[in-house]
Amino acid sequence: MDEAHYRFPPASAYRLNRCLYALKSDPAFRARFLADATAALREMGLAQAEQGALLTGDREALVARGAHPYLVFMADLRLRMERGQTTFEYF
Amino acid sequence: MLVGAFACAHTPQLLARPESEDRDLVLRVHAAFARVKRRLAELRPDALVIVAGDHIEAFFLDAVPALAVYAGVECAGTFGPYRYRFPIHEPLARALVAQGVERGFDLFYTQEAPLDYAFFVPLHFTMPDPAVPIVPLHVNVYLPPQPTPRRCHEWGRAVGEIVRARPERVVLMASGGMSHFPGTDRYASPELDWDRRLLEKLAGGRGGELAAVGGEELDQVGNIELRTWITVLGAVGDAKADVYCYEPSWHHGNAVVEWPI
Repeated sequence: MDEAHYRFPPASAYRLNRCLYALKSDPAFRARFLADATAALREMGLAQAEQGALLTGDREALVARGAHPYLVFMADLRLRMERGQTTFEYF
Repeated sequence: MLVGAFACAHTPQLLARPESEDRDLVLRVHAAFARVKRRLAELRPDALVIVAGDHIEAFFLDAVPALAVYAGVECAGTFGPYRYRFPIHEPLARALVAQGVERGFDLFYTQEAPLDYAFFVPLHFTMPDPAVPIVPLHVNVYLPPQPTPRRCHEWGRAVGEIVRARPERVVLMASGGMSHFPGTDRYASPELDWDRRLLEKLAGGRGGELAAVGGEELDQVGNIELRTWITVLGAVGDAKADVYCYEPSWHHGNAVVEWPI
């Protein structure tokens, strides 16, 4: 059987997942990230490699480090929505 | 008393209607939702118990409930420009928690947590007018290890028994499914054949078989959210599903189903 799509999130990725959760669900943090991503990430106590993967939106690197795939997906969508890069009510 | 049971997709694109979607397909799902809304008007429920999987919105890794009951005064949620607020049917919510615990389910309850779009997308389209209070039931679907399908089925059977003994007219609604793989490299290739086989089973009144499906299989076919359907199936027993629609998009098997009670 193939590897599971959604896995038990490793405890080592807690801060990374917490950051993705904040990007997805905390409008104030998302605004700080959009204003100054590097400064916002500094608040979250992340490893350098995690910050790099978040800044470049490298999904595979994030998931390899234990990020939950749904959080990566939705954090990215919410950022794109905020930047006006998605269409709404197109029809 | 239990007066109706449904399952509805909650694909956010049905609400947001971005350019990426097939307009006609979305409108066909909207038509199926409108049919549910008309049925709810006929069924005249006093409360709507909606079973959905939290998309890591109400609960994060600081506390991961397997099965939870929202027992607050009201609940509210947002998604982009959309904002929702629903009153809770508190006596029914309390009965579900108290009698659920009495029956051996170690339930988690909350009186305040953000409402996930899995709850409000179907309610946006199906809530009758005038609106009725709701009771959100959470099933953990996105944070492994999730409750087993068998446990969800047992919990649903208990929910059905509790609701049938209540004075209120209650409709049960599962939100979720069918096949989709958000955030993975399989997002654009859902397991539509698996969905179709399952809908045939449900139409034949064989939904109880789902209790025996393994969690690994649900993950492999993009149907981790079917735990919400399986919960409702525990309450409806062998009723034959009336499949209002199955509309597979490029990323999602959208289904709307009613089980006659």
